[in-house]
Amino acid sequence: MNLIEMNSICKSYRNIGFETKVLKDVTLHIKEGDYVSIIGPSGAGKSTLMAIMGCLAQPTSGEYILDYEEVGKLNDRKLSRVRNEKIGFVFQAFHLLPGVTALENVILPFVYAKNPPSNIKERARELLAKVGLEHRLHHTPGQLSGGEQQRVTIARSLVNDPRIILADEPTGNLDSKNGVETMKTFDNLIKEGKTIVLITHDSEVAKHAGRIISILDGQIAADSNVNYEEQARSL
Amino acid sequence: MRIYKNLGQALRGLRLNRGNTILMTLGVMIGIASLTVIVAIGDGIKIKVLSRIANMGFGPESFSVIAGAGKMFFSRSKNTTSMSLEDTEDLLALPTVRLVVPRQRKRMQVINKKEFTNTRIYGVTPDWQLARGWKMEDGEFLSDSDLDRRKRVIVLGATPARKLFKSNEPIGKMVRLQNNYYRVIGLLEEKGMTESGYDPDDRALIPLTTSMSRLTHQTYLHSIKVVALDSSQVPETMEAVRQILRRNHNLSALADDDFRFITPEGIMLWVTESEQALNRMLILISTVSLLVGGIVIMNILLVSIRERVREIGIRRCFGARRSDITFQFLFESVLVSLLGGLMGVGLGLAMSFALKRFDILPTHITVEPFILAFMFCSLIGLIFGIHPARKAAFLSPEESIRSQ
Repeated sequence: MNLIEMNSICKSYRNIGFETKVLKDVTLHIKEGDYVSIIGPSGAGKSTLMAIMGCLAQPTSGEYILDYEEVGKLNDRKLSRVRNEKIGFVFQAFHLLPGVTALENVILPFVYAKNPPSNIKERARELLAKVGLEHRLHHTPGQLSGGEQQRVTIARSLVNDPRIILADEPTGNLDSKNGVETMKTFDNLIKEGKTIVLITHDSEVAKHAGRIISILDGQIAADSNVNYEEQARSL
Repeated sequence: MRIYKNLGQALRGLRLNRGNTILMTLGVMIGIASLTVIVAIGDGIKIKVLSRIANMGFGPESFSVIAGAGKMFFSRSKNTTSMSLEDTEDLLALPTVRLVVPRQRKRMQVINKKEFTNTRIYGVTPDWQLARGWKMEDGEFLSDSDLDRRKRVIVLGATPARKLFKSNEPIGKMVRLQNNYYRVIGLLEEKGMTESGYDPDDRALIPLTTSMSRLTHQTYLHSIKVVALDSSQVPETMEAVRQILRRNHNLSALADDDFRFITPEGIMLWVTESEQALNRMLILISTVSLLVGGIVIMNILLVSIRERVREIGIRRCFGARRSDITFQFLFESVLVSLLGGLMGVGLGLAMSFALKRFDILPTHITVEPFILAFMFCSLIGLIFGIHPARKAAFLSPEESIRSQ
């Protein structure tokens, strides 16, 4: 079954009377455990697509079913819960809370969790150790390097054990060595059964995914499996 | 509990945005400090007024009836001759009256050889001392036999005694009023000048009978002091006194009273009227300063939210509801107000003590303004925090995460 099911999604923004159509009739299905890259030039609508996928924005029209739930029908309370439990975000600009230690940043999703486990600190520590930051628990983002910050971000995205990881240009602000490290982490997550949607404009990075969807001007231009045998399935 | 977590996040927010927190705290602190100082000054003035009235010889159970229509110390008519000793006897017959002291009053020169001074001479009965509760410094007060025999004896207040005798012993000496010599038999204890410049020690007392026959050559009274059995009986006693005097003076139903009352409440009202106006103005000022404090909080929070759009976006991405964001910012505003309130109360206390210590203004510190201040603080935090908090909560998570 599809974990993510988008049917005829349109999104437009109104700006001083001007209507800009960012997404035009996007239909996209992603199965559980898939590793998908969304690629396209800037302004193509990648980030908007991710915002809708991550329940940060509602589509103007169309239907979005996430894990059998129609997102359009959810209120703020339920949407917040979906974001909290089902999705882990990784951002290009890291988006860590400034002035707050790595450990506390990783704990953030627990603050808003419905039933947080009693050993939240333990869990956060384990995850930071897993990304190799056990020696940086009490450092604030300002005291961490870009690569370290991105690893904190990844630990934070995993803390509530979500089924989907949404990564928006995760390597965009990193040097190539850290970029490679980050991609390795994602490769491992796929082995653990997570579903990953990776947004990038770097075709090399995109190749890590099993499926590459390219977006152009708000529409899906190509949808191809990197696995050559299944390439014929492209739309 | 989710709400406790929001409180925790609010505390963290305040700690991380120290600059804004300090500014907001200052805003509230100044408002609350001025509020508490103003209330302390108001209370201090009230207490001083009360003690001043006590100095004027009014216990809560006594009042004076002065001959002549008018209000308080201001007479509308001169030389009212209607008040007599018969009135005094009728008043004493009232069941709620303990003491009645008839008085004549005349300002004149008192002479001791080459020394002389102008003072108020009162013709009174021996009960005067009981009614006033005024102790003797030396000698004795007027006695019933002095009254009966119209003796030429005099009791001096501290001011004329000092002027006439310097450091010499006045008891037993003779002083002259008009053409009669009076023997000094007693000295009143000194009370000291009041705030308003009234000198209660500037007086001399002679028997009422002597005053009538030798000094004023009149039988009518200047005033009657009435002491009721209990302060709660003062209003009904006053009404009874009014009925008796109106009947005795043959006043028709339409005529105004030809006498007036001076009561402790009356004096207090008279004295505090202007102070109340002052109080009202000061309360207005402190309300404005509290309002300013609230608006400072609101504006700084609004600016702070603009600076923290990303933070709000991040929180929303990881599951914060609108209500979580609302509560976090509301808590920040309430906490800042309470902190500012606490510091303001401290500053206010310090200022009140300083004003009193250096004799700038009388202050009196009570609990009420502090309770009031705290109520105001949380209220201000809530009222002025709600708009910024709602604004933060209704930011679109998508746009706020993208903002730089």
